[in-house]
Amino acid sequence: MLHILHPAVETFPDAVMRAMFAARKSVFVDLLKWDVPVLQDRYEIDQFDDHYAQYLVLTDSTGAHLASARLLPTVRPHILGTLYPELCDHAVPTGPDIFEITRFCLDRRLRAAERRIVRDTLVTALADHALRHGIASYTAIAELAWFQQILAFGWDCLPLGLPRVIDGAQLAALRITISQQTPALLAAAGILRRDAHAGHTRREAA
Amino acid sequence: MGMRTTAEAFIGQITSVSTVDDLETALHTICEPLGFEYFALSHHIDVARAGGASIRLHNYPERWADYHDANGFGVTDPVHRASHVTSVGFTWSRLPEMIPLTPHDRAFMELGRQHGIGDGFTVPAHVPGEARGSCSFANGAGRRMPHEMLPIAQLVGAFAFEGARRVWPARQFDPRASPCLTDRQRDCMLWVARGKSDWEISRLLGISEETVTRHVKQACERYGVNKRTLAVIRTLFDGTLTFGDIFWR
Repeated sequence: MLHILHPAVETFPDAVMRAMFAARKSVFVDLLKWDVPVLQDRYEIDQFDDHYAQYLVLTDSTGAHLASARLLPTVRPHILGTLYPELCDHAVPTGPDIFEITRFCLDRRLRAAERRIVRDTLVTALADHALRHGIASYTAIAELAWFQQILAFGWDCLPLGLPRVIDGAQLAALRITISQQTPALLAAAGILRRDAHAGHTRREAA
Repeated sequence: MGMRTTAEAFIGQITSVSTVDDLETALHTICEPLGFEYFALSHHIDVARAGGASIRLHNYPERWADYHDANGFGVTDPVHRASHVTSVGFTWSRLPEMIPLTPHDRAFMELGRQHGIGDGFTVPAHVPGEARGSCSFANGAGRRMPHEMLPIAQLVGAFAFEGARRVWPARQFDPRASPCLTDRQRDCMLWVARGKSDWEISRLLGISEETVTRHVKQACERYGVNKRTLAVIRTLFDGTLTFGDIFWR
């Protein structure tokens, strides 16, 4: 099930949010060893998880977390603009129709085959969400290995600057331009929405 | 031109190609302004499939290419091995810090120097479960490494790899082509990977030795291989098991 959550607009299912923050802790803190805040030893929540953040969350039919991503409006403080502007060789792209994709998180319990299905579904959901809500482009920061995968999704993706070593990791900022062609570009690269888990229904807040 | 503009121009050239030949031409053109004489793009579309399609584009002088072919280019080449232990571009002079080098490797590299092969910069690239390869830029002996251009070379390598993946005709995209093991088969393969015998695994999992043997045999069958070592390698390749499962848990 795809949940699209806008905390500013509605109250959202607490269980879905908790499961997402716990999955983020498992991936970004326990696995990737990022130095980010952890609440109650269980939830990875930072200063950008505020009322302006939006979330795309995929859950299975029991509500368990499969994958999630956080979208930050670039007209407000966000990771590229606030923490890593040096990754952009020119001005950091900002605007009401530009959102930053952060915390792209695939649940650690997924097996390889499921992982790919869930990842592809989340990527297509990001493109659909952008088209439905007038988002013209996404920005993001990625380590180089992940950057290569993002390129492989086939969408229109270009770097915003040269890669830099920051805290031991080689990072690059990128911009993904979304257009009516994006779904076809994704499909041509093999990125398709697949119903790994029965009963994909759509629930939108705004 | 500023660094960004230079990078943008190169990336623009690569993203606009629609054939393997175009890609080769683009890399050829980009090489010199990047500060290198030579490039070599090596791309295995499907490493799991024996004889899977692979791309090799290069403008190495013939004597280099002959030397690589004579020495099993791509299989035991230390540069290729090193590209499997990092996702970030590296200069060849750093190889001894990155991977253990056998006497044969050192001889291989020395022979390379005698053939006039100088230092190079290799950008590794992996799309998990599907494609693996690298894009190298190299100079003849005595030419200086263009350190200031390496961040651009890193991006060019990443886009060249993706470009190859895009234009190569024989693409395969079906994650379900990879077999799925049962939980019990996976448990058994994990202990096989850790070097346990069927009897030891049967004690660990509290099942009979015959059952373990059957699970392992069926796991091998699902991968279409007849040796458990090959099946372990396949589980690692497709992510059914990870190195972390084997070493750290």
